[in-house]
Amino acid sequence: MDQMGTVSTQSIQLEGVRLQSGIYLSPLTVAYETYGELNEQRDNAVLVLHALSGDAHSSGLDADGRVGWWDGMIGPGKGIDTRKYFVICSNCLGGCKGTTGPTSVNPATGKPYGRSFPQITIRDMVNVQVMLIDKLAITKLHAVIGGSMGGMQALEWACGHGDRLKSALVIAATARLSPQGIAFNWVSRNAIYCDPATPVKPDESNSGFYKPGRGLAVARMIGHITYLSEETMQAKFGRKRKLRDMDGTTYSLGENQGLGGEFEIESYLQHKGSSFMARFDEDSYIIITKAIDYFDLVREYGDLATAFKDITAKMLIVSFTSDWLYPTSMSLDIVRALQASKKHVSFVEMDLPYGHDSFLVPQGMPNMTRIVRGFLKGV
Amino acid sequence: MSEQTQEIRTPFHEFEAGFNIIIDLITPGTRVLDLGCGSGTLLARLRDEKDVEGCGVELDQEKVMRCTERGIRVMTLDLDHGLEGFPDLSYEYVVLSRTVQQLARPEHLVREMLRVGSKSIIAFPNFGQWKIRLEYLLTGRTPLVRTFPLPWYSSPDIHRITIDDFRHFISDIGGKIEREFFIIKDEPNPSIFLPNLRADWGCVQISAQHSNG
Repeated sequence: MDQMGTVSTQSIQLEGVRLQSGIYLSPLTVAYETYGELNEQRDNAVLVLHALSGDAHSSGLDADGRVGWWDGMIGPGKGIDTRKYFVICSNCLGGCKGTTGPTSVNPATGKPYGRSFPQITIRDMVNVQVMLIDKLAITKLHAVIGGSMGGMQALEWACGHGDRLKSALVIAATARLSPQGIAFNWVSRNAIYCDPATPVKPDESNSGFYKPGRGLAVARMIGHITYLSEETMQAKFGRKRKLRDMDGTTYSLGENQGLGGEFEIESYLQHKGSSFMARFDEDSYIIITKAIDYFDLVREYGDLATAFKDITAKMLIVSFTSDWLYPTSMSLDIVRALQASKKHVSFVEMDLPYGHDSFLVPQGMPNMTRIVRGFLKGV
Repeated sequence: MSEQTQEIRTPFHEFEAGFNIIIDLITPGTRVLDLGCGSGTLLARLRDEKDVEGCGVELDQEKVMRCTERGIRVMTLDLDHGLEGFPDLSYEYVVLSRTVQQLARPEHLVREMLRVGSKSIIAFPNFGQWKIRLEYLLTGRTPLVRTFPLPWYSSPDIHRITIDDFRHFISDIGGKIEREFFIIKDEPNPSIFLPNLRADWGCVQISAQHSNG
């Protein structure tokens, strides 16, 4: 099915970045992947922006055979056609997949930053992406495209770097997270605070060796509930019960020591939580969800029309009927402010039942592909 | 998902006469908002033939995707919610073709059109046509004709309007009729004898009274 073949993450070293908070974060590593060829005019680059738990590996297979998070969209002949476009995707600042973040070593102490990593913002993430694009000697991007937190970054790109892009695709995003969204992020962080990673040797904090806590897994479970729609949960899991746990071991009805889960939805969440523990860092999770909570273009600029006044890019705003975390009404706020400032805006509300995750799930890909391909062609 | 819904409107080829009238009315190089734009056929023609900067509004997902694929700028919005967000006089023309008879709140939308566009062009099927009247009178039942092809219980055409109805409506909301065209048997006519009795379709260009257009 996959036509990209094996890809590998590259990284560049930068001197540092001045954060919005005023702190100068140095040194700075940015992990990224590219697919396709940059043309001679250097004007066919598309920057893909990942969501909370994503990374630079967005398409193809990595060395471990892991498929990229948006492999259905990016590749030869796909929605973002790598035969046509030079696709770039970088791990965001504060992440834990190669770009400087809490797991990186703090040069002042020689130990990982951990919880002491400075609070970053969506704008800081975008500023680092701009530095990467500079390094790749690309003056103007054909498009930036992102969903959820990636959509926030796409908005930030359009507002703050209008001269650097021809178009922006903002999918399932918002100019400011709802109190409901902030609440879920807060509960997720609280789960981590309640059962955090602990040093393997309790007397040697900051030794760099940690035993992960279950908090991150619970945080991920909460996240997954908010990404799915009621309809999808009903269709996928219903009230079905599993008689075997994730390891294939049978168990009697009951809580199974709270580990396996009895209903299928429980097992699903359990599995998602556990696998997330193995691949993500809890301090990254804390820092990135806080950056999402802080993102507020209204507060920053006074109102959205002011925020959007310098936008020159063609904008496509996409929402999903079943997304209750970043609902259509929030996309419409963006659309109406763009209209009020007479910007070139298209708006597509897609009738997909898969909730906030609709842009990621394979079942939604055929329709998403038509929209993305069509819009990129028309830029 | 995209269940194969029955094509409820007159197919495009059967309304080419109407589209030709609309295209003729529109000054080249202007901005046009097409409400209920379908797959973007009219806007694609306006772009190619008149260098128009167009935007469509459409609720049907399949048609929205078609528009995007054709490079037509489109917005997924419900016309019954009005045109909130569209600035005053932001388009030279606002077009509402073959849709006004399907709206829950036609008055609200047409007032919005007068606000957003310098001129508005509205095309609609005429229920006052004599054969329809005669059949209504003789059978006592709502006639099924090419312009209103579906029975009342499954038709999106919830308003059975006539050309005279429409003229009164525009006058009632303080609009001004600038141009009128009538389509009989696919032939457009700028003026005909007894249009309310003879025309299959009316196509009217209106503006807000105070614009002094």
